[in-house]
Amino acid sequence: MPGMTDTGTEARRKRARRTAMIAGGFAVAVFLLSIVQMLRV
Amino acid sequence: MAHAATHDHHDHHGAPKGFFQRWVMSTNHKDIGTLYLIFSLTMFFIGGAFAMVIRAELFKPGMQLVQPYFFNEMTTMHALVMIFGAIMPSFVGLANWMIPLMVGAPDMALPRMNNLSFWIMPFAFILLLSTLFMPGGGPAGGWTMYPPLSLQGESIAYTIFAVHLMGISSIMGAINIIATILNMRAPGMDLLKMPVFVWSWLITAFLLIAVMPVLAGAVTMLLTDKYFHTNFFNAAGGGDPVLFQHIFWFFGHPEVYIMILPAFGIISEIIPTFARKPIFGYRAMVFAIASIAFLSFIVWAHHMFAVGLPMGAEIFFMYATMLIAVPTGVKVFNWVSTMWGGSMTFETPMLFSIAFVILFTIGGFSGLMLALAPADFQYHDTYFVVAHFHYVLVTGAAFSIMAAAYYWMPKWSGNMYSETWGKIHFWSSVISVNVLFFPQHFLGLAGMPRRIPDYNVAFANFNMISSIGGFWFGASQLIFLGVVVHCVFFSKKKAADRSWEGAKGLEWTVPSPAPFHTFDVPPVIHDDELAHGNTDH
Repeated sequence: MPGMTDTGTEARRKRARRTAMIAGGFAVAVFLLSIVQMLRV
Repeated sequence: MAHAATHDHHDHHGAPKGFFQRWVMSTNHKDIGTLYLIFSLTMFFIGGAFAMVIRAELFKPGMQLVQPYFFNEMTTMHALVMIFGAIMPSFVGLANWMIPLMVGAPDMALPRMNNLSFWIMPFAFILLLSTLFMPGGGPAGGWTMYPPLSLQGESIAYTIFAVHLMGISSIMGAINIIATILNMRAPGMDLLKMPVFVWSWLITAFLLIAVMPVLAGAVTMLLTDKYFHTNFFNAAGGGDPVLFQHIFWFFGHPEVYIMILPAFGIISEIIPTFARKPIFGYRAMVFAIASIAFLSFIVWAHHMFAVGLPMGAEIFFMYATMLIAVPTGVKVFNWVSTMWGGSMTFETPMLFSIAFVILFTIGGFSGLMLALAPADFQYHDTYFVVAHFHYVLVTGAAFSIMAAAYYWMPKWSGNMYSETWGKIHFWSSVISVNVLFFPQHFLGLAGMPRRIPDYNVAFANFNMISSIGGFWFGASQLIFLGVVVHCVFFSKKKAADRSWEGAKGLEWTVPSPAPFHTFDVPPVIHDDELAHGNTDH
């Protein structure tokens, strides 16, 4: 975005992307766990 | 404090000029927040229109206006639209607007995903609402989608796809909020210095990523049962319909708190402002929210006392549910203690907040009654339950959203709303909502079942009173629409940067209306400016 040249902010955005990947992975894992019943079909 | 960093940028530079670029392609947290709020207000009126059909049909005994199946479609759609279309997106809109401003971040951490999170929603709801016009009609088995009833219509596939889309949107929104709060705070904005609203949303976002995938799993299995001949919930094929209820309510009960924890955060911002005192027990408030969130995972079966649970399970879920009263009580007492001895004024946001504290507590008390397993056998599936959750969700969640709208509208629009009309809206709403929902307690105790379009003449009087309250409450919300439109487009009274005398927090250090870009340079945090006052006390 305009004005986003601050290196500190960019570093924080990078960390934020990593956090998002972890949170997203957690959500996918919960979904898979909740349909684990399907393995028994 | 943050003025030097923000006043340089209040000329709206960088805002795209074209309508399409500005709103459809937006990655700006304020614009996306506005989109969410407009969307949720639209859904509020659509869901409200469904409620008017329900109350019109129930105005007197006998079939009046609609066919029973259409009545069932209305109860189902009213719930789905209000929960997933009105309440949840409005809180996400408030989060989008306010969290970056409150923590001193330039935007949400993942702006493009933010755009996608929002734009999935209109498609999900067009899909859901379009089922009403399809042969066979829309979903009519209740928002809980219990099989086998929910599998009887063909619209279930559309409903499930819509629920998947809503879930994906909510999960992406929650991930964005977690990433923003954990990584994008200005230096010095420690976790325990964040406003309670931000805390409430951080905890809510964790709840969302923990339970929305469970709903997705449940409805996926529903879909395969319907179309791929699996038997997860089909007793004839060795499955168990009660399994669906367990999975659904493992999502459903935390979902209830997803709809109330941000409300707690909002009220914890507004009451200190208009009591002109720091919030009483900041840390206790944060830990109470976290405790409620934790407990929400171990109480799901209190929705299922009547299915025939083992005695030990009934006792466990009864006591676990009653435990929730403890952290909730901490919050209510802390709000009262914040007001105690405060220099209070009663502008519209404060009026809605006080009404929230009183009326949400009534909803909490009826919740305690429902938590009692033996008593629940009488209350289950009656209008007592309807009264309970409407006190929690209308006078709780919806009132808090209205309070938030009045509180932050000056910051969003740069204009002050009409205080006179705001108060007319408040008093009209607070009286009518009690006329609407309080008699439903008596109806439920007398045995009137939920989700039934006709009823015994013994229930006629209270139903008529409730319907009058319903029409009155519905009409009152048109005042709200008028106040918002007037404030945004026609109000001559400009808002100050700090729109309320007692307001504290970073959001009040930026100009009103908030510029397109804020906190491009992280602000310097001073403890005396924090929303809840000095953390040392």
